[in-house]
Amino acid sequence: MSAMAASEVLIDCQSVWKVFGDNARAALRAIADRGLSKTEVLQEFSCVVGVSDASIQVRRGEIFCVMGLSGSGKSTLIRLLNRLIEPSSGRITVKGQDLSGLRGQALRDMRAKHIGMVFQSVALLPHRTVLENAAFGLEVQGVARARRLEVAREALARVGLSDWAGRLPRELSGGMQQRVGLARALAADPEIILMDEPFSALDPLIRRQLQDEFRSLTKELGKSAVFITHDLDEAIRIGDRIAIMRDGVIVQVGTAEEIVLNPADGYVADFVAGISRLHLIKAHSVMYEPAAWARARPEVDVGALPRTHPEADIDALIGMVVGSGQEGVAVVDGGRIVGVVTPRGLLQGVRGTAPADLSVV
Amino acid sequence: MADAAFIEAFDDAVEGGLDWLDDHGGGVFDAIRHALAGVYDGVEWLLLAPPFWAVAALALVAGWRVVGWRFGGLAALGLGLCAAMGLWAETMETLALVVTAMVFALLVSLPLGVLAGYVPAVKRAAEPALDLIQTLPPYLYLLPAIALLGYGPATALAATCIVALPPALRLTALGIGRTPQEFIELGQANGIRPWQMFAKIRLPFAFASIMAGVNQSLMMAFGMVVIAGIVGSGGLGETIYGAIRTLDIATSVDASVAIVVLTIVLDRLTQGLADRGARA
Ligand SMILES: Nc1ncnc2c1ncn2[C@@H]1O[C@H](COP(=O)(O)OP(=O)(O)OP(=O)(O)O)[C@@H](O)[C@H]1O
Ligand SMILES: [Mg+2]
Repeated sequence: MSAMAASEVLIDCQSVWKVFGDNARAALRAIADRGLSKTEVLQEFSCVVGVSDASIQVRRGEIFCVMGLSGSGKSTLIRLLNRLIEPSSGRITVKGQDLSGLRGQALRDMRAKHIGMVFQSVALLPHRTVLENAAFGLEVQGVARARRLEVAREALARVGLSDWAGRLPRELSGGMQQRVGLARALAADPEIILMDEPFSALDPLIRRQLQDEFRSLTKELGKSAVFITHDLDEAIRIGDRIAIMRDGVIVQVGTAEEIVLNPADGYVADFVAGISRLHLIKAHSVMYEPAAWARARPEVDVGALPRTHPEADIDALIGMVVGSGQEGVAVVDGGRIVGVVTPRGLLQGVRGTAPADLSVV
Repeated sequence: MADAAFIEAFDDAVEGGLDWLDDHGGGVFDAIRHALAGVYDGVEWLLLAPPFWAVAALALVAGWRVVGWRFGGLAALGLGLCAAMGLWAETMETLALVVTAMVFALLVSLPLGVLAGYVPAVKRAAEPALDLIQTLPPYLYLLPAIALLGYGPATALAATCIVALPPALRLTALGIGRTPQEFIELGQANGIRPWQMFAKIRLPFAFASIMAGVNQSLMMAFGMVVIAGIVGSGGLGETIYGAIRTLDIATSVDASVAIVVLTIVLDRLTQGLADRGARA
């Protein structure tokens, strides 16, 4: 069924480690035997732990964000996914194929046809036109010139750069260059797109515009993406799910709402502290159970409250409460009232805590 | 006088070594002489077959297309001056020597440079040899060459080749080895083949560096070809050498002017080509 197809796993990382340095093997063994920390490994073996025991799954049609501070291992992780870097241990399968088992042509095919990549540095070839850059992936695959330029032209049109096809990259602004990078990845028509902080160097306005464009384009084309960023706002805006990394460890994976409501530790909590909940938290997370609420407030007729759906966000709910002047809003799912949202519940939601205590309703 | 005895023994050894090379490698050196002289004769014939004004016109067009109309005009004028001084044949001989030496030097230095760019061990091995070539005074190469190849253009060409090797080799290795990491990753992430990585990524990035090397090699070759006048290379070098021996100041000045003209024309033309290639 469609729900099954939607959840098919495209990228599967199982306990993947990457340790940089000449003594990587010994360091890895010491970590397994003695549970050394990243700093201890650095002192004892002068090896850097880039990625530490990472397990993630990226599903078909999903935009999976990886978020973390500088040096937390995001780039290392994403480069493991198309084997620009070999893992020190662990298993990575892409579309059911074990990456480490791919040799020569099989690996080239995987990279050419199934996994595209967009770089933070853009990496447009300076001596080629925008169109030739967009056609690069197909050129490498040996697609005939007329055909590949036609496909590249279509990809440029998708990112709104049709008029710039004949220019050189240096004639374009940073945001436009980044779009060419995306067009280049799209032209090869891979199912999975890896994006390593593609928008980090851009100013906030153009950045938001590109984020929205990227999200709608990816969804429209039915692609899956792994998107790296060090900006939680960006991760929330773009990602269906978010993984948070610290010192090479993936500390939490979940939807933006899950992470904001239940941060796994203080590090994540600090991250989400400044994030606006208004559009993030939905009615189903802040509502009270209707029977319990009716017992606590017998004087109110639940059936007479204004109604909404479980996916309504806090911003919309506040609007309804303020506008109606009623005690609360009934949440309706499948024709049945499944919960009640009250001003108190909304206030808790704005702070990022789930409502629990009915005695103070 | 142990020293004198030692020096005598050393000289004998060197002479013996060269004799041995000549006896046992005679075929090889004959082949080298024939290859060098053969190509040289061909190039010289090509340059001297047309009248001087045709060559000057060619320089005009090339200079105009590659550098600019002003330079094209000056190049043609300069070549006309060489003819007017009665040194046209010598000028073209010198050009032929330089071109021939460059062909052979680049045949060796470009592939080796690419290899050294890919394999650091090759680069490390080549480094001391290149240092040595560039440290020793250039006319030193004439001595073994004349012993093995005899008096004439072949010796001049062999010595010129050696002197012209290092810059092109070094800068080719540098350019090929210094491709920005992000573009290497771009290639890999697109499933590129090794030869595509070379042709589509490494070479375009290295082009400017390689052309700078070719240009420097060309200038080294010019210097050497003039020095090689003393071994009967023919061309302007020999004219100057002859004029100095007979204290014919006027002729030596004329020949020097011709050399300057030729050097400037070739230098600007190759630099212009390099700039165009880097821009395209
Ligand atoms: N080739 C390498 N050799 C040695 N150490 C490396 C290498 N690449 C990365 N590292 C180390 O691995 C760790 C993670 O680096 P990584 O580039 O993955 O971080 P990042 O999260 O992408 O940071 P940023 O946001 O700054 O790009 C760092 O401590 C870094 O020093
Ligand atoms: Mg990074």
